[in-house]
Amino acid sequence: MYSAYFDNFTKKVPLTPEERELIQSHLSVKKIRKKQYLLQEGDVCKSIAFVEKGMLREYSLDEQGGEHIIQFASEGWFISDMYSFITAEPATYNIDAIEDSELVMISRSSHDYLLTNCPKYETFTLQLITGAYLAMQKRLNSTIAASLESRYESFMALYPHIAQRVPQHMIASYIGLTPETLSRVRRRIASNKG
Amino acid sequence: MLFLASRQWSRGKRHGTFALSKANKMKTKQTIAIIGATGNMGSAISQSLAKGNYRLLLHAPHEDKLTTLVHTIKAAHPSAEVESIDCSKQASWEADIIILAVPYAAEKEVADKIREVANQKIVISIANPLNATYNGLVTDATTSAAEELQKLLPNATVIKAFNTTYAADFAQPVIDGKQVDAFVAGNNEDALQTVSDLVATAGFNPIVAGDLSVSRTLEGMQLLLIQLTMKYNYNWVAGWKVLHN
Repeated sequence: MYSAYFDNFTKKVPLTPEERELIQSHLSVKKIRKKQYLLQEGDVCKSIAFVEKGMLREYSLDEQGGEHIIQFASEGWFISDMYSFITAEPATYNIDAIEDSELVMISRSSHDYLLTNCPKYETFTLQLITGAYLAMQKRLNSTIAASLESRYESFMALYPHIAQRVPQHMIASYIGLTPETLSRVRRRIASNKG
Repeated sequence: MLFLASRQWSRGKRHGTFALSKANKMKTKQTIAIIGATGNMGSAISQSLAKGNYRLLLHAPHEDKLTTLVHTIKAAHPSAEVESIDCSKQASWEADIIILAVPYAAEKEVADKIREVANQKIVISIANPLNATYNGLVTDATTSAAEELQKLLPNATVIKAFNTTYAADFAQPVIDGKQVDAFVAGNNEDALQTVSDLVATAGFNPIVAGDLSVSRTLEGMQLLLIQLTMKYNYNWVAGWKVLHN
Protein backbone atom coordinates (compact mmCIF):
# COMPACT_ATOMS: atom_id res chain seq x y z
CA MET A 1 0.00 0.00 0.00
CA TYR A 2 1.58 3.26 -1.22
CA SER A 3 4.98 1.56 -1.63
CA ALA A 4 4.83 1.04 -5.39
CA TYR A 5 3.69 4.64 -5.79
CA PHE A 6 6.66 5.96 -3.82
CA ASP A 7 9.12 3.58 -5.50
CA ASN A 8 7.98 5.02 -8.81
CA PHE A 9 8.16 8.57 -7.44
CA THR A 10 11.60 8.35 -5.85
CA LYS A 11 13.11 6.73 -8.94
CA LYS A 12 12.37 10.01 -10.69
CA VAL A 13 12.55 12.47 -7.78
CA PRO A 14 14.09 11.60 -4.38
CA LEU A 15 12.02 12.59 -1.32
CA THR A 16 12.81 13.37 2.31
CA PRO A 17 10.71 11.46 4.89
CA GLU A 18 8.78 14.69 5.60
CA GLU A 19 7.95 15.21 1.92
CA ARG A 20 6.85 11.63 1.62
CA GLU A 21 4.58 11.99 4.64
CA LEU A 22 3.05 15.18 3.26
CA ILE A 23 2.34 13.58 -0.11
CA GLN A 24 1.00 10.37 1.44
CA SER A 25 -1.46 12.31 3.59
CA HIS A 26 -3.03 13.52 0.32
CA LEU A 27 -3.27 10.10 -1.32
CA SER A 28 -6.00 7.54 -1.04
CA VAL A 29 -5.84 3.81 -1.72
CA LYS A 30 -8.57 1.91 -3.46
CA LYS A 31 -9.14 -1.67 -4.49
CA ILE A 32 -11.26 -2.29 -7.55
CA ARG A 33 -12.42 -5.61 -8.91
CA LYS A 34 -12.31 -6.85 -12.48
CA LYS A 35 -15.00 -5.25 -14.69
CA GLN A 36 -15.82 -2.50 -12.18
CA TYR A 37 -15.79 1.05 -13.42
CA LEU A 38 -13.50 3.67 -11.97
CA LEU A 39 -15.13 6.27 -14.18
CA GLN A 40 -18.08 6.32 -16.52
CA GLU A 41 -18.51 8.74 -19.36
CA GLY A 42 -20.66 11.71 -18.30
CA ASP A 43 -19.38 11.87 -14.71
CA VAL A 44 -16.62 14.28 -13.77
CA CYS A 45 -13.24 12.62 -13.36
CA LYS A 46 -12.23 13.59 -9.83
CA SER A 47 -8.96 11.69 -9.49
CA ILE A 48 -5.78 10.51 -11.13
CA ALA A 49 -5.17 6.84 -10.38
CA PHE A 50 -1.79 5.12 -10.11
CA VAL A 51 -1.85 1.35 -10.60
CA GLU A 52 0.03 -0.51 -7.85
CA LYS A 53 -1.29 -3.86 -8.95
CA GLY A 54 -3.55 -5.07 -11.74
CA MET A 55 -4.62 -3.48 -15.02
CA LEU A 56 -7.16 -0.92 -16.18
CA ARG A 57 -8.16 0.44 -19.56
CA GLU A 58 -9.55 3.75 -20.72
CA TYR A 59 -11.84 3.85 -23.73
CA SER A 60 -14.45 5.83 -25.58
CA LEU A 61 -17.69 4.43 -26.95
CA ASP A 62 -18.86 5.27 -30.47
CA GLU A 63 -22.48 5.65 -31.50
CA GLN A 64 -22.72 1.94 -32.34
CA GLY A 65 -21.40 1.03 -28.90
CA GLY A 66 -17.94 0.12 -30.23
CA GLU A 67 -15.08 0.48 -27.75
CA HIS A 68 -11.96 2.44 -28.68
CA ILE A 69 -9.21 1.89 -26.15
CA ILE A 70 -6.93 4.89 -25.79
CA GLN A 71 -4.83 3.55 -22.92
CA PHE A 72 -4.00 0.52 -20.85
CA ALA A 73 -2.53 1.02 -17.40
CA SER A 74 -0.72 -1.75 -15.60
CA GLU A 75 1.65 -1.66 -12.62
CA GLY A 76 3.48 1.66 -12.38
CA TRP A 77 1.20 3.61 -14.72
CA PHE A 78 -1.17 6.49 -14.19
CA ILE A 79 -4.65 6.69 -15.65
CA SER A 80 -7.27 9.45 -15.72
CA ASP A 81 -9.51 11.41 -18.04
CA MET A 82 -7.20 14.40 -17.84
CA TYR A 83 -9.48 16.77 -19.74
CA SER A 84 -12.31 16.12 -17.31
CA PHE A 85 -9.95 16.18 -14.31
CA ILE A 86 -8.52 19.60 -15.25
CA THR A 87 -11.74 21.26 -16.47
CA ALA A 88 -14.34 19.51 -14.23
CA GLU A 89 -16.36 18.95 -17.43
CA PRO A 90 -18.09 15.55 -17.83
CA ALA A 91 -15.71 12.76 -18.83
CA THR A 92 -15.74 11.53 -22.43
CA TYR A 93 -13.93 8.31 -21.53
CA ASN A 94 -14.71 5.25 -19.45
CA ILE A 95 -12.14 3.62 -17.19
CA ASP A 96 -12.64 0.07 -15.96
CA ALA A 97 -10.58 -2.72 -14.47
CA ILE A 98 -9.43 -5.59 -16.68
CA GLU A 99 -8.06 -7.37 -13.60
CA ASP A 100 -8.62 -7.01 -9.86
CA SER A 101 -6.50 -3.95 -9.12
CA GLU A 102 -5.03 -1.85 -6.32
CA LEU A 103 -4.82 1.87 -6.93
CA VAL A 104 -3.36 4.97 -5.35
CA MET A 105 -5.56 7.97 -6.07
CA ILE A 106 -5.10 11.69 -5.85
CA SER A 107 -7.96 14.17 -5.99
CA ARG A 108 -7.95 17.46 -7.87
CA SER A 109 -7.77 19.53 -4.67
CA SER A 110 -4.86 17.47 -3.29
CA HIS A 111 -3.11 17.56 -6.68
CA ASP A 112 -3.44 21.35 -6.78
CA TYR A 113 -2.34 21.70 -3.17
CA LEU A 114 0.81 19.64 -3.73
CA LEU A 115 1.65 21.40 -7.01
CA THR A 116 1.67 24.69 -5.07
CA ASN A 117 3.20 23.52 -1.81
CA CYS A 118 5.55 20.67 -2.71
CA PRO A 119 8.14 21.51 -5.43
CA LYS A 120 9.18 17.84 -5.70
CA TYR A 121 5.60 16.89 -6.53
CA GLU A 122 5.60 19.53 -9.23
CA THR A 123 8.85 18.18 -10.68
CA PHE A 124 7.45 14.64 -10.63
CA THR A 125 4.24 15.76 -12.33
CA LEU A 126 6.21 17.60 -15.01
CA GLN A 127 8.21 14.47 -15.74
CA LEU A 128 5.05 12.38 -15.95
CA ILE A 129 3.33 14.75 -18.33
CA THR A 130 6.44 15.05 -20.49
CA GLY A 131 6.65 11.25 -20.71
CA ALA A 132 2.97 10.97 -21.54
CA TYR A 133 3.34 13.64 -24.24
CA LEU A 134 6.22 11.81 -25.91
CA ALA A 135 4.30 8.54 -25.81
CA MET A 136 1.26 10.28 -27.28
CA GLN A 137 3.31 11.67 -30.20
CA LYS A 138 4.72 8.25 -30.91
CA ARG A 139 1.26 6.67 -30.77
CA LEU A 140 -0.19 9.35 -33.04
CA ASN A 141 2.55 8.88 -35.62
CA SER A 142 2.13 5.12 -35.50
CA THR A 143 -1.62 5.50 -36.03
CA ILE A 144 -1.44 7.87 -39.00
CA ALA A 145 1.79 6.79 -40.68
CA ALA A 146 2.71 3.19 -39.94
CA SER A 147 1.56 0.04 -41.74
CA LEU A 148 -0.89 -2.23 -39.94
CA GLU A 149 1.85 -4.81 -39.44
CA SER A 150 4.23 -2.35 -37.86
CA ARG A 151 1.49 -0.90 -35.64
CA TYR A 152 0.86 -4.35 -34.24
CA GLU A 153 4.52 -5.27 -34.00
CA SER A 154 5.48 -2.06 -32.24
CA PHE A 155 2.65 -2.56 -29.72
CA MET A 156 3.91 -6.09 -29.03
CA ALA A 157 7.49 -4.84 -28.71
CA LEU A 158 6.61 -1.88 -26.48
CA TYR A 159 4.08 -3.58 -24.24
CA PRO A 160 4.75 -7.33 -24.17
CA HIS A 161 3.52 -7.55 -20.54
CA ILE A 162 0.17 -6.03 -21.54
CA ALA A 163 -0.16 -8.18 -24.65
CA GLN A 164 0.09 -11.28 -22.46
CA ARG A 165 -2.67 -10.13 -20.11
CA VAL A 166 -5.40 -8.70 -22.35
CA PRO A 167 -7.57 -10.39 -24.99
CA GLN A 168 -6.78 -9.88 -28.69
CA HIS A 169 -9.91 -7.81 -29.32
CA MET A 170 -8.65 -5.19 -26.86
CA ILE A 171 -5.27 -5.04 -28.58
CA ALA A 172 -7.13 -4.60 -31.87
CA SER A 173 -9.15 -1.78 -30.35
CA TYR A 174 -6.03 -0.07 -29.00
CA ILE A 175 -4.28 -0.05 -32.38
CA GLY A 176 -7.45 0.92 -34.20
CA LEU A 177 -8.29 -2.29 -36.06
CA THR A 178 -11.26 -4.61 -36.04
CA PRO A 179 -10.54 -8.01 -34.46
CA GLU A 180 -10.92 -9.59 -37.92
CA THR A 181 -8.34 -7.27 -39.46
CA LEU A 182 -5.97 -7.94 -36.58
CA SER A 183 -6.30 -11.69 -37.20
CA ARG A 184 -5.38 -11.17 -40.88
CA VAL A 185 -2.44 -8.95 -39.88
CA ARG A 186 -1.15 -11.58 -37.46
CA ARG A 187 -1.47 -14.30 -40.10
CA ARG A 188 0.45 -12.18 -42.62
CA ILE A 189 3.21 -11.56 -40.08
CA ALA A 190 3.38 -15.27 -39.23
CA SER A 191 3.58 -16.33 -42.88
CA ASN A 192 6.24 -13.71 -43.66
CA LYS A 193 8.32 -15.01 -40.81
CA GLY A 194 7.72 -18.61 -41.80
CA MET B 1 -12.58 12.10 -2.83
CA LEU B 2 -12.65 9.69 -5.67
CA PHE B 3 -14.34 9.87 -9.03
CA LEU B 4 -17.38 11.64 -7.71
CA ALA B 5 -20.29 13.01 -9.62
CA SER B 6 -20.46 16.47 -10.92
CA ARG B 7 -22.90 18.39 -8.85
CA GLN B 8 -25.73 18.21 -11.31
CA TRP B 9 -28.22 19.05 -8.63
CA SER B 10 -28.03 22.26 -6.78
CA ARG B 11 -28.62 23.42 -3.31
CA GLY B 12 -32.09 24.66 -2.67
CA LYS B 13 -32.23 28.40 -2.54
CA ARG B 14 -33.35 28.43 1.06
CA HIS B 15 -32.22 26.83 4.25
CA GLY B 16 -29.53 24.71 2.66
CA THR B 17 -31.87 21.89 1.73
CA PHE B 18 -31.16 19.77 -1.30
CA ALA B 19 -33.47 19.07 -4.18
CA LEU B 20 -34.50 15.43 -3.78
CA SER B 21 -35.56 14.78 -7.33
CA LYS B 22 -32.10 15.54 -8.64
CA ALA B 23 -30.19 13.51 -6.08
CA ASN B 24 -27.41 11.22 -7.19
CA LYS B 25 -27.29 11.46 -10.96
CA MET B 26 -23.83 9.96 -10.96
CA LYS B 27 -23.38 6.98 -13.27
CA THR B 28 -20.20 5.51 -11.80
CA LYS B 29 -21.29 3.23 -8.99
CA GLN B 30 -19.71 4.18 -5.70
CA THR B 31 -18.78 1.55 -3.16
CA ILE B 32 -19.93 2.07 0.41
CA ALA B 33 -18.48 0.08 3.30
CA ILE B 34 -20.85 -0.20 6.24
CA ILE B 35 -18.97 -1.20 9.39
CA GLY B 36 -21.34 -2.53 12.02
CA ALA B 37 -23.94 -3.40 9.39
CA THR B 38 -26.00 -5.77 11.53
CA GLY B 39 -26.78 -3.34 14.35
CA ASN B 40 -30.12 -1.54 14.44
CA MET B 41 -28.84 1.52 12.64
CA GLY B 42 -26.35 -0.31 10.41
CA SER B 43 -29.03 -2.68 9.19
CA ALA B 44 -31.53 0.12 8.56
CA ILE B 45 -28.95 2.20 6.66
CA SER B 46 -27.81 -0.82 4.60
CA GLN B 47 -31.36 -1.70 3.59
CA SER B 48 -32.29 1.84 2.64
CA LEU B 49 -29.12 2.55 0.64
CA ALA B 50 -29.64 -0.65 -1.38
CA LYS B 51 -32.26 1.37 -3.31
CA GLY B 52 -29.57 3.66 -4.71
CA ASN B 53 -26.85 3.33 -7.34
CA TYR B 54 -24.31 2.06 -4.82
CA ARG B 55 -22.37 -1.10 -4.23
CA LEU B 56 -22.57 -2.09 -0.57
CA LEU B 57 -19.93 -3.97 1.38
CA LEU B 58 -21.31 -5.00 4.73
CA HIS B 59 -19.12 -5.83 7.67
CA ALA B 60 -20.04 -6.97 11.18
CA PRO B 61 -18.65 -9.45 13.67
CA HIS B 62 -21.76 -11.67 13.54
CA GLU B 63 -21.41 -13.73 10.39
CA ASP B 64 -24.83 -15.42 10.56
CA LYS B 65 -26.65 -12.13 11.06
CA LEU B 66 -24.67 -10.64 8.18
CA THR B 67 -25.64 -13.48 5.83
CA THR B 68 -29.29 -13.02 6.79
CA LEU B 69 -29.06 -9.28 6.16
CA VAL B 70 -27.53 -9.78 2.70
CA HIS B 71 -30.34 -12.23 1.85
CA THR B 72 -32.99 -9.82 3.12
CA ILE B 73 -31.58 -6.97 1.02
CA LYS B 74 -31.30 -9.10 -2.11
CA ALA B 75 -34.87 -10.33 -1.68
CA ALA B 76 -36.15 -6.74 -1.43
CA HIS B 77 -33.84 -5.34 -4.14
CA PRO B 78 -32.88 -8.13 -6.56
CA SER B 79 -30.62 -5.85 -8.59
CA ALA B 80 -28.75 -4.49 -5.57
CA GLU B 81 -25.02 -5.07 -5.49
CA VAL B 82 -24.43 -6.09 -1.90
CA GLU B 83 -22.08 -8.50 -0.23
CA SER B 84 -20.65 -9.30 3.16
CA ILE B 85 -16.95 -8.94 3.84
CA ASP B 86 -15.16 -10.34 6.86
CA CYS B 87 -12.54 -7.63 7.35
CA SER B 88 -13.24 -3.97 8.08
CA LYS B 89 -9.93 -2.90 6.55
CA GLN B 90 -10.58 -4.76 3.28
CA ALA B 91 -14.09 -3.29 3.13
CA SER B 92 -12.77 0.22 3.67
CA TRP B 93 -9.95 -0.31 1.17
CA GLU B 94 -12.48 -1.07 -1.58
CA ALA B 95 -14.82 1.70 -0.50
CA ASP B 96 -15.26 5.25 -1.68
CA ILE B 97 -17.37 6.04 1.38
CA ILE B 98 -17.15 4.41 4.81
CA ILE B 99 -20.06 4.43 7.25
CA LEU B 100 -19.13 3.72 10.86
CA ALA B 101 -22.36 2.29 12.24
CA VAL B 102 -20.78 1.38 15.55
CA PRO B 103 -21.32 2.82 19.03
CA TYR B 104 -19.17 5.75 20.08
CA ALA B 105 -17.18 3.52 22.43
CA ALA B 106 -16.11 1.29 19.51
CA GLU B 107 -14.97 4.10 17.18
CA LYS B 108 -11.36 4.08 18.30
CA GLU B 109 -10.91 0.36 17.71
CA VAL B 110 -12.40 0.58 14.22
CA ALA B 111 -10.44 3.74 13.42
CA ASP B 112 -7.19 1.97 14.31
CA LYS B 113 -8.02 -0.84 11.88
CA ILE B 114 -9.03 1.30 8.91
CA ARG B 115 -6.75 4.35 9.33
CA GLU B 116 -4.34 3.49 6.53
CA VAL B 117 -7.09 2.86 3.98
CA ALA B 118 -9.42 5.70 5.05
CA ASN B 119 -7.04 8.42 3.83
CA GLN B 120 -8.92 11.10 1.89
CA LYS B 121 -12.15 9.10 1.98
CA ILE B 122 -15.50 10.18 3.37
CA VAL B 123 -16.11 8.57 6.75
CA ILE B 124 -19.61 9.02 8.13
CA SER B 125 -20.01 9.28 11.89
CA ILE B 126 -23.53 8.28 12.96
CA ALA B 127 -22.74 7.79 16.66
CA ASN B 128 -24.32 9.62 19.56
CA PRO B 129 -22.04 9.54 22.60
CA LEU B 130 -24.80 8.80 25.10
CA ASN B 131 -24.06 7.84 28.67
CA ALA B 132 -25.44 4.62 30.14
CA THR B 133 -28.64 6.17 31.49
CA TYR B 134 -29.41 8.35 28.44
CA ASN B 135 -29.49 11.50 30.54
CA GLY B 136 -26.34 13.04 29.14
CA LEU B 137 -23.41 12.73 26.73
CA VAL B 138 -20.03 11.30 27.64
CA THR B 139 -18.24 13.90 25.50
CA ASP B 140 -17.66 17.33 27.01
CA ALA B 141 -19.24 20.43 25.53
CA THR B 142 -16.15 21.42 23.52
CA THR B 143 -16.26 18.38 21.27
CA SER B 144 -18.46 15.69 19.68
CA ALA B 145 -18.25 12.06 18.57
CA ALA B 146 -17.65 13.28 15.01
CA GLU B 147 -14.80 15.61 15.97
CA GLU B 148 -13.20 12.87 18.06
CA LEU B 149 -13.40 10.53 15.05
CA GLN B 150 -11.77 13.21 12.89
CA LYS B 151 -8.86 13.33 15.38
CA LEU B 152 -8.54 9.54 15.11
CA LEU B 153 -8.60 9.70 11.28
CA PRO B 154 -6.77 12.96 10.54
CA ASN B 155 -6.47 12.36 6.78
CA ALA B 156 -10.07 11.27 6.26
CA THR B 157 -13.04 13.55 5.62
CA VAL B 158 -15.38 12.92 8.53
CA ILE B 159 -19.02 13.86 8.00
CA LYS B 160 -21.79 13.71 10.61
CA ALA B 161 -25.00 12.18 9.30
CA PHE B 162 -27.81 9.77 10.19
CA ASN B 163 -27.47 10.56 13.92
CA THR B 164 -30.82 12.31 14.42
CA THR B 165 -32.91 9.55 12.85
CA TYR B 166 -34.03 6.36 14.60
CA ALA B 167 -33.52 3.00 12.90
CA ALA B 168 -37.29 2.60 12.51
CA ASP B 169 -37.50 5.95 10.68
CA PHE B 170 -35.67 4.44 7.69
CA ALA B 171 -38.66 2.20 6.98
CA GLN B 172 -40.93 5.17 7.52
CA PRO B 173 -39.12 8.42 6.62
CA VAL B 174 -42.46 10.23 6.35
CA ILE B 175 -44.06 10.61 9.79
CA ASP B 176 -47.44 12.24 10.32
CA GLY B 177 -47.41 13.24 6.65
CA LYS B 178 -44.08 15.06 6.90
CA GLN B 179 -40.76 13.95 5.50
CA VAL B 180 -38.23 13.72 8.32
CA ASP B 181 -35.26 16.09 8.09
CA ALA B 182 -31.79 14.59 8.41
CA PHE B 183 -28.90 16.86 9.25
CA VAL B 184 -25.43 16.66 7.75
CA ALA B 185 -22.35 18.42 9.12
CA GLY B 186 -18.76 18.59 7.94
CA ASN B 187 -15.92 20.71 6.62
CA ASN B 188 -15.74 19.67 2.96
CA GLU B 189 -18.31 20.95 0.49
CA ASP B 190 -17.99 18.08 -2.00
CA ALA B 191 -18.28 15.50 0.77
CA LEU B 192 -21.34 17.24 2.26
CA GLN B 193 -23.03 17.02 -1.11
CA THR B 194 -22.11 13.36 -1.58
CA VAL B 195 -23.47 12.49 1.87
CA SER B 196 -26.61 14.54 1.23
CA ASP B 197 -27.14 12.25 -1.80
CA LEU B 198 -27.03 9.26 0.53
CA VAL B 199 -29.47 10.87 2.95
CA ALA B 200 -31.87 11.62 0.10
CA THR B 201 -31.53 8.05 -1.21
CA ALA B 202 -32.55 6.82 2.26
CA GLY B 203 -35.72 8.89 1.92
CA PHE B 204 -34.96 11.76 4.28
CA ASN B 205 -34.77 15.46 3.57
CA PRO B 206 -31.07 16.36 3.85
CA ILE B 207 -30.16 19.65 5.50
CA VAL B 208 -26.55 20.78 5.68
CA ALA B 209 -26.32 22.14 9.20
CA GLY B 210 -22.79 23.50 9.17
CA ASP B 211 -19.19 22.53 9.79
CA LEU B 212 -18.13 19.50 11.80
CA SER B 213 -18.37 21.32 15.14
CA VAL B 214 -22.14 21.60 14.59
CA SER B 215 -22.10 17.86 15.35
CA ARG B 216 -22.15 18.90 19.04
CA THR B 217 -25.61 20.38 18.52
CA LEU B 218 -26.78 17.46 16.36
CA GLU B 219 -25.66 14.90 18.93
CA GLY B 220 -27.39 16.94 21.66
CA MET B 221 -30.56 17.04 19.55
CA GLN B 222 -30.67 13.27 19.45
CA LEU B 223 -30.13 13.10 23.20
CA LEU B 224 -33.19 15.33 23.59
CA LEU B 225 -35.22 13.29 21.10
CA ILE B 226 -34.39 10.07 22.96
CA GLN B 227 -35.39 11.66 26.28
CA LEU B 228 -38.66 12.91 24.78
CA THR B 229 -39.32 9.54 23.16
CA MET B 230 -39.02 7.80 26.53
CA LYS B 231 -40.99 10.45 28.37
CA TYR B 232 -43.88 10.68 25.91
CA ASN B 233 -43.75 7.15 24.50
CA TYR B 234 -43.13 7.98 20.81
CA ASN B 235 -42.47 4.27 20.28
CA TRP B 236 -39.06 5.00 18.62
CA VAL B 237 -40.65 6.41 15.49
CA ALA B 238 -39.91 10.11 15.73
CA GLY B 239 -37.75 12.69 14.00
CA TRP B 240 -36.93 16.33 13.57
CA LYS B 241 -38.65 18.63 11.12
CA VAL B 242 -37.74 22.27 10.66
CA LEU B 243 -40.87 24.23 9.82
CA HIS B 244 -40.28 27.24 7.65
CA ASN B 245 -42.09 29.37 5.14
